[in-house]
Amino acid sequence: MNKNHIIGVFDDEDSLMSAVHEVKEKGFEIWEIFTPYPIHEVIEAMGKKTRFTFAAFIYGFLGAAGVLSFMYYTAVIDWPINYGGKPTNAFPSFIVVTIVITILTVTLASLFTFSLRAKIYPGKAYILPDARSTDDKFVMVFDKSKQSSGSGDLESILLNKGAVEVYEKELQPQI
Amino acid sequence: MYKTEVRGPLILGDKNYRQISSDIIAPIDQPIPTWWKAVFGVSMLATLFGVYAIYTTLVVGIGSWGVNNSVGWGWEIINFVWWIGIGHAGTAFSIFLLILRQKWRTSINRAAEAMTVVAVGCAALFPALHMGRVWLMFYIFPYPNTRGPLWVNFNSPLFWDFIAITAYLLISASFWYFGMVPDFATIRDKTTSKVKRAVYGFFAFGWTGSSREWLRYEALSYVLGGIAAVLVVSVHSIVSTDFAVSVIPGWHTAVFPPYFVVGAIFSGFAMVMTLMIIIRKIYKFQDYVTDSHLNAIAKILIFVSLIMGTAYATEIFMAWYSGSTYEMFTFFKNRITGDYTFQFWAMVVCNAFIPQLFWFKKVRQNLTIAFIISLLINVGMWYERFNILITSLSKDYLPSSWTVYSPTWVEIGIFVGTLGMFVAGVLLFFKYIPMIAISEVKSILKVTSINKNEKTNASHE
Repeated sequence: MNKNHIIGVFDDEDSLMSAVHEVKEKGFEIWEIFTPYPIHEVIEAMGKKTRFTFAAFIYGFLGAAGVLSFMYYTAVIDWPINYGGKPTNAFPSFIVVTIVITILTVTLASLFTFSLRAKIYPGKAYILPDARSTDDKFVMVFDKSKQSSGSGDLESILLNKGAVEVYEKELQPQI
Repeated sequence: MYKTEVRGPLILGDKNYRQISSDIIAPIDQPIPTWWKAVFGVSMLATLFGVYAIYTTLVVGIGSWGVNNSVGWGWEIINFVWWIGIGHAGTAFSIFLLILRQKWRTSINRAAEAMTVVAVGCAALFPALHMGRVWLMFYIFPYPNTRGPLWVNFNSPLFWDFIAITAYLLISASFWYFGMVPDFATIRDKTTSKVKRAVYGFFAFGWTGSSREWLRYEALSYVLGGIAAVLVVSVHSIVSTDFAVSVIPGWHTAVFPPYFVVGAIFSGFAMVMTLMIIIRKIYKFQDYVTDSHLNAIAKILIFVSLIMGTAYATEIFMAWYSGSTYEMFTFFKNRITGDYTFQFWAMVVCNAFIPQLFWFKKVRQNLTIAFIISLLINVGMWYERFNILITSLSKDYLPSSWTVYSPTWVEIGIFVGTLGMFVAGVLLFFKYIPMIAISEVKSILKVTSINKNEKTNASHE
């Protein structure tokens, strides 16, 4: 079996973070970090950013414009009905439906974006190096082939920084 | 910045991460208890009765109800508004407290959201049945049809209502589900049973808890939180416009939207309290749902109860101040005194006076009394909707069309059926879904036990 990944298992957030800073300083490249709950320092350290809020704004804008023009088309252009002589373009009362549909659009579109970008969908073959990371362990994973210096150094750094276990493993997708 | 020294520790009992997962997953792994089967059986009987009542409604028609020409909206709309009010708590709870960064929400929001989804489902049943020919319900969708195409009336509050409830059901269900994905993954990886691993694994959507997933997860939860906060306020405002836009005395008031929204949050929070007291008692979750959690809910209930009292007083004052004979009659001759005196005062006492008992620390700490008060609030909220609907409709402008309304067994049956559905839904939630958001509780463990860590583990500071 080709053990191509190094896995460091930590017991708590603090020792994980000190190890993350140390290995980054020494120039090792972290493949991914798995934690039982969101930790902002980890996300920052991995250097990842998301344009999620911007996407949500676009969805909201499109949703609002779409539903307003739809109501304008149906109530003014396609089939205008005279309600007691009131204007057919009843803009103030269109706002209610616009708000609700905008919120619905943002929610559903954001959920699909999330599913697409975070790759979370039914029946996905996922890679979970250490199954304890959804319970109580904080797991740091390194791709062996991408490290410039030897893996022996890496192992000793991780253990020094409080890793409870360091081992090598081949990662395989599971369902 | 968000340390919770004022509120005290949020998780008691010196837990570690492993204990948190095992404690919360425990009810899922244990065999089904006898009380659960018994209560589920009773709730299914109630549901069956409801199904039979719905069957009668469909076969006989709306004529099987007690509604008549004057009182066109009876128990169905009372119950609709009541359920949708209860259904406001979950989203209000998790979203407002999420935006305000209140960490104590973490052990309660899951149950509140579950309750929301079930209650909104119950609520949606009533307006659908009230359409009379429910099989033609699709007429309300604005779709290009062969009748013109003739579009729906976008100016009608009844159409707004349909849109609002549909959107609310979809959004609260997806918000709830999306919060559960990491917890399903925890169950998948912890369970020893192959069936559970497969089932929860499917619902976990391949969640692993990697940093790329958490990054988007956090971003999505704030986007949804921010946008759904608007929805919580708008849905019940829209429900109130069903009434406020009409010209019936007692309905045509500007105070209705805020009054309805606050009332919805009030009944929802009371239901959250009822549920949390049950959950912590039966499943021994006292370490997660601590006394201080219930204390916080009780304090919110005092505050909201004061707003309710103010809203009632405002309505009465405006009836007098407007100088309208009909408004005066409705409030002074048909609510405060008159045929519906009991219902009016039941509403005022249950909603404005009894919750004031929470000012006393002893009442807040005595969970039996708190439980009874939380139930009474929802009784009071039911009477509030009764008051609004029945008093105004039964005696409006024309004395010759004054009538008395009483529900038939069919209407009572549908209500009993929704109660059964609600209890059954909540029981299924108790058994098959982690009742407390595991990953969220883990994320506050470090903050909440900061004092403990300082003593035992000074090297980290």
